[in-house]
Amino acid sequence: MGHLFSFIETTPPSLPIEPLEPSLPPTKSINASPKSALVVENDESLVNCFRELLKKGGYAVRLASDAEEGLRLFRECGPFNVVLINYYIPPREGVGIDCLAPQQTHGVELAMAIQHKNPSQGIIIVALDYQRAADVPRPPQLMHIPVLTQTGNGQLRSLLETIEVHRAINALTRSELLKLQRIAKFRIRGIGRAARGRDWEDLLDEAIYRTLIGAKDTQNGRHWNRSVSFAQHLKGAVWGIADYWKKQFKDERIYLVSELLIHDAEGDDYSPIDTVPSRQVPADQHLIDKDEKERVLVLFGDDREALQVLQGLMDGLRKTEIMSRHGLDERKYAAALKRIRLKLLDRRNDRGRG
Amino acid sequence: MAEGRKMDKANHDERLEKVMNQLADSVFALPDEAIVAEVSEAGFDPDEEAAHTRIVLCEAMQTLENVNSHLSNLGHTVDPNGWYRGRSGYHNTCVNCGSFVSFTIGTGEVRGEALETRCHENGQYMTRRREASRE
Repeated sequence: MGHLFSFIETTPPSLPIEPLEPSLPPTKSINASPKSALVVENDESLVNCFRELLKKGGYAVRLASDAEEGLRLFRECGPFNVVLINYYIPPREGVGIDCLAPQQTHGVELAMAIQHKNPSQGIIIVALDYQRAADVPRPPQLMHIPVLTQTGNGQLRSLLETIEVHRAINALTRSELLKLQRIAKFRIRGIGRAARGRDWEDLLDEAIYRTLIGAKDTQNGRHWNRSVSFAQHLKGAVWGIADYWKKQFKDERIYLVSELLIHDAEGDDYSPIDTVPSRQVPADQHLIDKDEKERVLVLFGDDREALQVLQGLMDGLRKTEIMSRHGLDERKYAAALKRIRLKLLDRRNDRGRG
Repeated sequence: MAEGRKMDKANHDERLEKVMNQLADSVFALPDEAIVAEVSEAGFDPDEEAAHTRIVLCEAMQTLENVNSHLSNLGHTVDPNGWYRGRSGYHNTCVNCGSFVSFTIGTGEVRGEALETRCHENGQYMTRRREASRE
């Protein structure tokens, strides 16, 4: 404990914040801005552990060894991207926060005070002496706050990632959200039957799952590389997932029913397919897809330029090739493309497609 | 003849996908005000659509958080990077007891023995609180 205090005290007052690593990406957007963390902990080994983990994650770290210091730093240096609070941080006296009634357990009061001051603050309670998060006695106001019970298995890293993704979702602008929705809709329509009835919402769901799950490899997840904005990351994820669904659909082996027949004790044949829901594309979906191709062309029957652009895209031509082939200038090409997008995702034409 | 029709169909699928990909790409390149105007022109309320999309993203996050929280409450520990993707969802196992858990994409349905029983391997460790270091 004494050693910890000396560690904090030897930090020059003018430089209480750990400098960011020089290799961090420049601060272009909210997603790439410097991140800051406050750690309120009085166990030196844990402080070092958290500090290293946070620094590796690109956080500038401030340290406090007790609740009073933690609150002071929070008031004076906040907002922080994340606050790690030891569940057993020593109780404080006379700090003078008039927000919430003191609770019976120490440490918790600090988290409540911080949350009261800034409800969107990403707070993690560290309770390493408990085996399970459910065992940590918390007041109802803090039940939703993530509790870290182990430092192994990347739990802290995962919690930090979750907080960051949550913040990034909240920071998405209206136009970014609209673009992501439209991209997902076009991708779903592009892969047709391979979507197996999944819609654009499923595609975005999957993009989030893979972002949160996948720090390890590209097979199971998609790590958000902070050098790109979150919207760009999601766009890439949506693109890749749709490709994966299509590949998955193509790779499926087709079995003959006769290969699967099972003989029962009485010598009768029965098919196991009869006992499980079909994974095949339903007939009505097949018809919808067939109809889709015809519908796309019919939609533009009276729009020569749109039809020309559409035909060029279908033939795999580049923009410049389409423009020169049909004598379209930049403005006319962009206008035709816009009309195509509008007609395909028009409320009247988009009905039933989510 | 049938083979030819199949080729035509595959070809048509590819061509349609190319169109949709180009359209998706063109959307991302649009200026912010243009996409808002385009959504309005298509008969949608941009604010509503944007809010709906944000909800979709948040709900996906919540699904995974619920799974993790449920597992944690039962004493299970899963490697956050250990989720692997199956045909219809994601699967993982508790690193202590090996219990299985999975959740289904789309419905968010969660299944597996890890959600039904407490981690029996976790109980071998005594709860040790760091009271001493606080005094």
